[in-house]
Amino acid sequence: MARAAAPSRTIYVNPRRMAATLKDTGMLRSASLALAAFLALTAAAVAADKPTLTIYTYDAFAADYGPGPGLKAGFEKMCGCTVDIVAADSSIGALRKVQLEGATTPADIVLGLDTSVAGEARATGLFAPHGLTLTGLSLPARWTDPDFVPVDFGYFAFVYDKTKVKVPPTSFEALIKEPASFKVVLEDPRSDTPGLGLVLWIKAAYGDRAPEIWAGLKPHIATMARSWSDAYGLFLKGEADMALSYTTSPAYHAIAENNPNYAYAEFTEGFYPQIEIAGVLKSSAHQELAKQFLGWLVTPEAQAVIPTTNWMYPVTALGDKLPAAFPAAPAKVLSLDENAITANKAAWIEEALAAIR
Amino acid sequence: MPRSADATLPHRPLRLAGGAAIALAIAALIGTLFWAILHAAAGQAATGPGVDLGDLIYITTLQAVLSTGLSLLAGVALAWALNRLRFHGRGLLIGLFASAIVTPGLVVAFGLLSVWGRAGWLGFAGVPIFGLGGVVAAHVLLDGAFAARILLARLDAIPAARLKTGQSLGLTPWTRFAVIDWPALRGTLPGLAAIIFLLAFTSFPIVLLLGGGPAVQTLEIAIYSAVRLDFNLGLAVQLALIQIALCAVIILASAALAPISASLDRPAEPRWRDAGWARAAQWLVLALALFGFASPLLATLLDGIAGLDSVLAQPAFWNAVWTSLWIGAVSALLTLALALLIATGRAAASSRLARVLLGAPAYAYLAVPAVTLSLGAFILVRDLGIGPVVAAPAVVVIANALLSLPFAMATLAPPVEAIARSRGRLIRSLNLGGWRQFAEIEWPLLARDAGLVVALGFCFSLGDLGVIALFGTQDFTTLPLLMVRALGAYRTHDAASIAALMLVLTIAAFVLLPRLIGRLADART
Amino acid sequence: MLALEDVTFAYAGSNPYCFSMTAEAGTVTAIRGASGAGKSTLLDLVAGFLAPASGVVRIGGQDVTALPPERRPVSILFQSETLFEHLSAARNVALGLPRPDAARVEAALAEVGLADLGPQRAATLSGGQKQRVALARTLLRDRPVLLLDEPFSALDDDTRATTRTLVRDLTLKHRWATVLVTHHADDIAAIADRVYVLQGGTLRAQP
Repeated sequence: MARAAAPSRTIYVNPRRMAATLKDTGMLRSASLALAAFLALTAAAVAADKPTLTIYTYDAFAADYGPGPGLKAGFEKMCGCTVDIVAADSSIGALRKVQLEGATTPADIVLGLDTSVAGEARATGLFAPHGLTLTGLSLPARWTDPDFVPVDFGYFAFVYDKTKVKVPPTSFEALIKEPASFKVVLEDPRSDTPGLGLVLWIKAAYGDRAPEIWAGLKPHIATMARSWSDAYGLFLKGEADMALSYTTSPAYHAIAENNPNYAYAEFTEGFYPQIEIAGVLKSSAHQELAKQFLGWLVTPEAQAVIPTTNWMYPVTALGDKLPAAFPAAPAKVLSLDENAITANKAAWIEEALAAIR
Repeated sequence: MPRSADATLPHRPLRLAGGAAIALAIAALIGTLFWAILHAAAGQAATGPGVDLGDLIYITTLQAVLSTGLSLLAGVALAWALNRLRFHGRGLLIGLFASAIVTPGLVVAFGLLSVWGRAGWLGFAGVPIFGLGGVVAAHVLLDGAFAARILLARLDAIPAARLKTGQSLGLTPWTRFAVIDWPALRGTLPGLAAIIFLLAFTSFPIVLLLGGGPAVQTLEIAIYSAVRLDFNLGLAVQLALIQIALCAVIILASAALAPISASLDRPAEPRWRDAGWARAAQWLVLALALFGFASPLLATLLDGIAGLDSVLAQPAFWNAVWTSLWIGAVSALLTLALALLIATGRAAASSRLARVLLGAPAYAYLAVPAVTLSLGAFILVRDLGIGPVVAAPAVVVIANALLSLPFAMATLAPPVEAIARSRGRLIRSLNLGGWRQFAEIEWPLLARDAGLVVALGFCFSLGDLGVIALFGTQDFTTLPLLMVRALGAYRTHDAASIAALMLVLTIAAFVLLPRLIGRLADART
Repeated sequence: MLALEDVTFAYAGSNPYCFSMTAEAGTVTAIRGASGAGKSTLLDLVAGFLAPASGVVRIGGQDVTALPPERRPVSILFQSETLFEHLSAARNVALGLPRPDAARVEAALAEVGLADLGPQRAATLSGGQKQRVALARTLLRDRPVLLLDEPFSALDDDTRATTRTLVRDLTLKHRWATVLVTHHADDIAAIADRVYVLQGGTLRAQP
């Protein structure tokens, strides 16, 4: 199993946090307490002249088996700094947290937002231009964003089990024509990014006809789950024939589970991408260090961590280092203007929900 | 504070003050959380879509009313059957049913799907599991089983002489229920209905997973989306206040309605079997309940076997077990302390109004949307200048203790009241002090119920972590958080195993803790 | 009428009881004994709430040992819990009939001297009134054996005397075999035709 080196549990050498943990919980036995205190002291001595880069991100990104530990270790090797990855329950949760904390936030970077909320994030005025010249990127479209740097990307797609669905639908209209017993499980656009992604996907493909497509989908919707994980869990349980996920999801099953039976349905309308992004906060005291991290993040070294930990495409071509199970990019990629998304997102969500209510 | 004017009640100003202090503190905490949010929302431009409030309230209320009515019906039927039947493993089964209320909603929802979903054991039956029906069914399983546990205690406490009179009269099973059982149950129903209504009204993971889409949702979900998606804190507070106002009507009505009806008699060994058809019906009810309730749990356990090795080998898992255990233990003891303080304070009050005022805040917490609590706690902790890493465990402990307080009150308040009413004269005439009253009279009689409260408190904290969603606590991981993380990383087997282990822990706590604490109290007397 | 023939019973871990006695129709038979002597156990055996380890219970010559309580020709009256508090007096009396019959309920209440109290809730009745209502119910059930478990203990002296007299009158009139369990000597002196003393787990007839 090709997973980036993720130690069973990373021991933080952040003296502030460690001291706090010890003081607060008092749950360690005395022997380990002494050892830990010693470690904390040593760490404090070493860390005294080391800056700490604090990154807010979403839970799965920071998890032991996510890209977080690999990226942290990689950057710490060269930056002479400590990377502190703080997980919120979702990327939007990380943004809300920074908004609540305002200028006093300890965060330097928010990582994990995506292009569908980029406009809204930009409008908060919290993010500083990255000032980097990003070259050699391999993305669905040319990257011109002055504030955010791409982290990874994927295409929303309906995933199915080849042993159960022999002939998958080839478009939204074909999906609508399936018998009513053909079910899909979706994510709620109000609570999860793939859910919002589907609203945008249908909008990009059908424009004003979007409500008609949504109304057609209604009998096929098994349920609209709160999160991607619930939805995908339901699909794996067999509650639906297809789940709204990513074109790269089958690669997880092929690589991590050695199960080649999952595939995504090729839709003739084309695919809508999700690009996850990171940005530096204006309030950060480590502007240069933060920008250095973002610059490093798009290098092949950092990007090599992404595919088998976050199961998304790297934003820089990795050549044959990208596992073969990752599918080639779709022939047709859809897009929407960021300003249009920001201005109309709420109305489009309401339009979609109204059509299936 | 109204003084205890009733001559039959021992004069206990300290108890009144203690109860009032806790009630005030809870009310103040809720108020402060809202204030913190409004403070943060000040100057924020109102954005985001309007909410169709009428429709939202209608569907939330409909769902809650259906869930409550059916849960009580199921609970009464099951309590009736369990009261009459004796079989091996009855104690274990009662523990299992009692644990229903604290079984994590997501675990039950997935368990239900393992049985009734289209790929489930009974998928061929084609039961529509998504939509209003599925949501109500899940609520009835969880809350109905809990109701049965509470109601069974009332039936088991019916005085032996009353049963003998009824039996020698040869009452038919139906007359027996109407004349003997129903009066014993009636007093408990309003309080129970209020709790179930509040649970269903504010239900979150079950509605989201089984609701089937935007047609079925709750105010709680609208509040969540106002905070997370639109970041419209003003709207969130507005919706939260509407939810609290609606729930307050229920809380106050039940607090005013609920009469004191608890018997402290030792339960009689039942020798009165109902006639043939009724006995058949009792076995049928038991079989249905066992099947309906135990099958999703069994499915959860079986689903969990596959990933067990991998989960048990993870240090992160053992770390989370440890965290969950100590968080659970601390909040359980806090729950017990708070419930005893409020219940004894309330029992010492003679005016009806004072009793309602003392009791209501304990329930109010249940009506406050979780996301509002989480948001308020985050802002508050930050405004106070406490680091989130330090604050997280404290906030979780307090939040979980308050969350289980209504259930603790429902369990402890009736017997505490009954002691005050029935033994009040004696206590007064002996001139016993408050502490001796507690140590020598109340505690020995309450110990078994106290065990149930500790189990409740323990299991509630095992299942919930929503309140520190914003805290960003990489080092502070409990079992439910670990499960959600595994689910978010394609690791469905790991998630299933963690769910199964949580379930085992919950049931074990529910079967063992009341016995353990009951035994400790017995050993002392 | 009622006869116990070497009826034995033992609770786990305590000394066994062995009861033999008879009670004739139209008489009051009193059982005297200290608290804890086994009076309630004796009544439970007669009424069928407990099953004896050995021995026979006969009523009217018939072996009823195997009959469940509701099918024994026995009525029982406790010190408390004789009535269902939330029901009216009339409804409580009607429970003695297989199907409601207002006229008979009315007549039974009249016979115990409570003609006007039918609609009143049992919870609001006095202790003496409650026992009379219970006796009215017994009348309708028309069972030849009446068991009384300390039925007068909660009553004041005057009520006690009148209730006692009512029990004796009804016993005579309806030819009941009435068994009165009590530890009050004055109850026994007032209405008992025959007395047994319960001591050391056995019954001894008192001359």
